[in-house]
Amino acid sequence: MLLLVTGGVFLLLHLTPGDPIDAMMAESGDATARESLRRELGLDRPIAVQYVVWMGRLLRGDLGRSIRNGEPVIENVSRRIRPSLELALLAMTIAILVAFPVALVSAVRHNTAVDRLGTSFALLGICLPNFLLALLLIFVFGVTLRWLPISGYADPLDEGWSGVRSLVLPAVTLGLALAAVIMRTLRSSLLEALGEDYVRTARAKGLSEGLVIRSHVLRNALIPVVTVVGLQLGTLIGGAVITEYVFALPGVGRLVVDAVFARDYPLVQGVILLIALAFIVSNLLVDVLYGWIDPRIRIR
Amino acid sequence: MAGSIPGSGFAEPALAVAAEPPLTDRRWDALRRAARARLAPFGAAVLLTAVVVALAAPLLAPYDPLAQDLGNILARPGRAHWLGTDNVGRDVLSRVIWGTRVSLVAGFVSVAIAATAGGVLGMLAGYAGGRADGVVMRLMDAVLSFPPLVLALALGAVLGAGLTGVLLALGVVYTPTFARLMRGQVLTVKTREYVDAARALGASGLWIARRHVLPNAATPIVVQASLSVAFAILAEASLSFLGLGVQPPAASWGSMINAGRGYLQQAPWIVFGPGAALFVTVVGLNFVGDAIRDGLDPRLTR
Repeated sequence: MLLLVTGGVFLLLHLTPGDPIDAMMAESGDATARESLRRELGLDRPIAVQYVVWMGRLLRGDLGRSIRNGEPVIENVSRRIRPSLELALLAMTIAILVAFPVALVSAVRHNTAVDRLGTSFALLGICLPNFLLALLLIFVFGVTLRWLPISGYADPLDEGWSGVRSLVLPAVTLGLALAAVIMRTLRSSLLEALGEDYVRTARAKGLSEGLVIRSHVLRNALIPVVTVVGLQLGTLIGGAVITEYVFALPGVGRLVVDAVFARDYPLVQGVILLIALAFIVSNLLVDVLYGWIDPRIRIR
Repeated sequence: MAGSIPGSGFAEPALAVAAEPPLTDRRWDALRRAARARLAPFGAAVLLTAVVVALAAPLLAPYDPLAQDLGNILARPGRAHWLGTDNVGRDVLSRVIWGTRVSLVAGFVSVAIAATAGGVLGMLAGYAGGRADGVVMRLMDAVLSFPPLVLALALGAVLGAGLTGVLLALGVVYTPTFARLMRGQVLTVKTREYVDAARALGASGLWIARRHVLPNAATPIVVQASLSVAFAILAEASLSFLGLGVQPPAASWGSMINAGRGYLQQAPWIVFGPGAALFVTVVGLNFVGDAIRDGLDPRLTR
């Protein structure tokens, strides 16, 4: 599997029309300088040889160096991980804080005006593209009300409040999209759980409504939510790429976009590979989470 | 509306369909169907309008979408320019109208590519089985192990900036969904008695695949395709927004929105004109997709 992925990543970038040497030296640079640079980077050798060399290094944990700034790919990425993780964590928190109450209210009071409001919100969140929502938020809170900064990044762990402020709009952008998906799934699985026999039993034995919802309904309704969130992980990563791009956050997603447009082969290869790896690992984590929520599902 | 995808339009609607639990509440179901019956005509109207606008773009656009008017930049929406003008004085409405072409082409062509490629691969995997099955499905798994937008971004860069590159990139990204669906269908249909009967009558493998398996396996593919178009349109807009896709000065909704980003304060209409067009189109197509699913998929319309 990983072999296929690495081979694919490698081939992909080498089929790219456009020469990284051009990107590095602009229009200047005479022919001999270009040739020596090409030799130095190993770009003059046959593709198969380049691949073997690359794979060999890969197995030793060396992802190569960025053509543009000459630093190892790993360093380029690790410098960018913190903003991305902070963004993801905040977005996930917002999504859960928004989706759970809305879904609960929608399900318990279902077919009422509140429910319809909730479902419309979810539809909106699903059809509104990420970048449009981002610009809408920028327009309202950044440009018109001037409450929050519209781009740039300060680390909340180093700079406290101004760091949090710089992440609010990006996290809300990413969080609301996710909240819409969670809300929809949770609402319909709650509705289903509410109709089950064990809920009637729980009520019949005199449990309070709150306890019924908490320990019988909610727990059983969580599985589809985990499934859907798991399926959405890739989308979430894509959304993060766009969000980081719009808000000029120096995260991994922004790095991918910049590297693609700069034709920085080693950097693109490295980053995409690491993202694919993270994606595969988090899918595994989702599977583990199933077993934790529902002991009946254990990996055989 | 089971193909629930936020943001960029990259996801796997098929699996999401499977993940949606059946609603047990009959009354709610009936209500939902009624709501859809109301929404489907709206969706159809949106789709029809979009198609007409795309086809008649040269007739409908009040101005040349590329004509700059530097004496009249960032003009407010008004009688002369219904949606205002952009930073080089181009008419936003005319550009939105021409952009409709790009979006519809992107939506339909990339899904057609994915459905065809995925359909053929899935048929091959499901019908031939054995090694072909293994190779094809591993390949599909490999495609699926990348986050879709990241893959499309890299593919788009490889294939070159331009609409063709984006169409092919999206085609590749959506292919595994169709291949898996088709394979699953073929595996079920293959065991039916009429297939045995055809074989007993001496029909060739290819004949059986074409005449008996394909028609009986095609319904979910059609449903999936109709649900995917909206997301493909979103995906094209996202890629154009990032700078792939149709190149300037040509108009596409995504690139217009990106270009207008810097003028949110002075001229928000540059962003929100194409933004509204994109949003309405996607919502409308979603309703149409739902209606088609309800109509064609008897399992979901109890």
